[in-house]
Amino acid sequence: MNRMRVIGWLVATVLVAACGSTGGGGGGTSNSYSGKTIKFGSVLSLTGAGSVYGPQSLNGAKLAVKEINASGGVNGAQIDLASEDDTSDKGISAQKTQALIQSNQVLALLGPTLSNSAVAAHPLAESLKTPMLAVSTTGIHIVPDCKNPDPTPCKYVFRDSLGEETAIPDNIKSYANDSHPKTGVLLVAQDDKFSSDGGTIVQNTVGQYNIQLLKVIKFNKGEADFSPYVTQAVKVNGVAPDVIFITSLGQIPAKLMTGARNLGWQGQFLGGNGFNTAAVSTQAGAAGTGARSASAWYLGNDFPSNKDFVTAYKNEYNKDPDQFAAQGYTGMKILADAAKRANLTFTDVAGDRDKLRAAMETVNLQTPLGPFQFTANHDVKQTVWIIAMDGAGGFKLVHEIRAS
Amino acid sequence: MDQQIVNAIFTGSIYALFAVGYTLVFGILDILNLAHSAVFMFGAALTYSLVVNHGQSFWIACVLGIIASAALGLVIEYVCLRPLRRRQAPPIAALISTIGLALVIVAAVEQGKQGGLFAWLWVDGANSVAFPRGTIPNPIWHVGDLTLEATKVVIIPISIALMLVLGYVMRYTQVGRGLRAVAENPRAARLMGLDVDRMIALTLVISSALGGLAGILFGVALGDISPYIGRDYVEVRGLAVIVLGGMGSIPGAVLGGYLLGLIEMLALVTLGSGARGGVAFAALFLMLVLRPQGLFGTRLRERI
Repeated sequence: MNRMRVIGWLVATVLVAACGSTGGGGGGTSNSYSGKTIKFGSVLSLTGAGSVYGPQSLNGAKLAVKEINASGGVNGAQIDLASEDDTSDKGISAQKTQALIQSNQVLALLGPTLSNSAVAAHPLAESLKTPMLAVSTTGIHIVPDCKNPDPTPCKYVFRDSLGEETAIPDNIKSYANDSHPKTGVLLVAQDDKFSSDGGTIVQNTVGQYNIQLLKVIKFNKGEADFSPYVTQAVKVNGVAPDVIFITSLGQIPAKLMTGARNLGWQGQFLGGNGFNTAAVSTQAGAAGTGARSASAWYLGNDFPSNKDFVTAYKNEYNKDPDQFAAQGYTGMKILADAAKRANLTFTDVAGDRDKLRAAMETVNLQTPLGPFQFTANHDVKQTVWIIAMDGAGGFKLVHEIRAS
Repeated sequence: MDQQIVNAIFTGSIYALFAVGYTLVFGILDILNLAHSAVFMFGAALTYSLVVNHGQSFWIACVLGIIASAALGLVIEYVCLRPLRRRQAPPIAALISTIGLALVIVAAVEQGKQGGLFAWLWVDGANSVAFPRGTIPNPIWHVGDLTLEATKVVIIPISIALMLVLGYVMRYTQVGRGLRAVAENPRAARLMGLDVDRMIALTLVISSALGGLAGILFGVALGDISPYIGRDYVEVRGLAVIVLGGMGSIPGAVLGGYLLGLIEMLALVTLGSGARGGVAFAALFLMLVLRPQGLFGTRLRERI
């Protein structure tokens, strides 16, 4: 054992010397890690309204843990992921976050799934000085002002999911460059924060690209019959708009698309994150063909960090991953990478949390989402993929917008 | 605007079909069967499950869905109504017990998941689903400026035909006469040798079959099936419809359904979606003040 150690040191010394002035070299104190356990937690919505997203995020995170542990762990330390279900409830989300931080003494957390829960969980993690990485929240005021309306930037809250404030304008810009539309109508769910925020972003963006918004049609997401709204949208004072913007969640975008096509409207659908799941594309079918949105991830990307992820995910779960799985997987890889570079002590939890936080700020990884870094605001800095529904339940890539 | 009127007629037809079953029970038993909205949802959920999870053809699933809904009517009678009737509990007790059953049915469907106890009925939990494309043919016709979808158009003749059949049965057949006798005076009907319990069970079977069918048509036409469709979309509106049309009146329920559909559409187009529910219920309130018996109601006079 001792001899092995000496040889290890020799090799390490030679390697460091070889790297020399190039400044490469991984974490130097790797042997203080070996045999240790790094505790991470996740607070995700595995049941309730968020259950269409949360389980995929967890699957992705678990796959990452499995891969990392199987290939020697983080400098020899194994990752232990304690996962909790917040049942899509804001209060429970905060409780589980607190329990993981104080009772389980986790080093960092992933989650929560919904922006609505993040409002409760993130400020708590911030006050308990524990890094928390959001993997699927796209609303506004997630980072850096997690304590909104208090504008103080949160030091411990990060996000690896693409916010609507980036996604929607990128999507509109790319379509405006391609086709120069002149008129549009916005269909927006008014009783859901995610959707109505999206509507506001559309209204604030269209002017820059000379698109005249003929009408803003608000509806409630709990409606059964959307045909009255679609009927209003496809013709405004006798004019059919070039674009219909849809900011809504769940099945609603698919219903609106089907309705508009049934009425014979032939323009372009543009939307937000609400378009980005196979379920919506499947439900919309032919009616959705060509509907464009900006996505954080694209299944068909064949760069190695995505291709390997897709293959591993399929082997593990017998199905294709989605954006949420990719973001959960990326989230865990980010935590592991930061832990590797953080010189953890394994004795002082508070100190280790702080070191981890500092290391997270300088993450620079190849991930399924593409090259990944955080901005100074702890938001995601990644390539944005403009995708279009293919009419058969999937998506095809239209444009790639690299992070500036 | 023309297209909006077409939209309103489709919506109104579903309200009408749902309310006919609602009003039938009220007309005969003087009881509001608040489990009716759960039957509506059950019909849609089971039919969806039979098609998607059990590989049945849509038509077979439809028939089974209606039969199962009718059977659920028997459950309502045997579990919620008959025991209370035996004890001569006041109508409010029956009202509460039907609310209870509705909650139980909704909760059971909500718990449905793969491998669960109710997997045969539902595996999608609290989620909303729609029939996959192609399981139901849905040709679309363009007539002038109007767009007509087959799945929606078909609701209109179905609801009108059912109303006519039901009207005929109630007026001209032995069964109908029996049902009316029970409605008029259950004790007298019993003394005349009518099996009142059987008549009531029959009422619930017919009413629930109609409720289930309304749910199926709703699921097909609007592509939205979840444990909550009854509660969210038709429960309170159904009440509004039968008040508009006159409690217990079948033609009233049909007309009330179309009327509510039109009022909602007008409110939506002129005032926006937020006003929709408010305007509909303002109309209901107005009707209660001006003509409490509703459009076709006669019960108030009967009672005097």
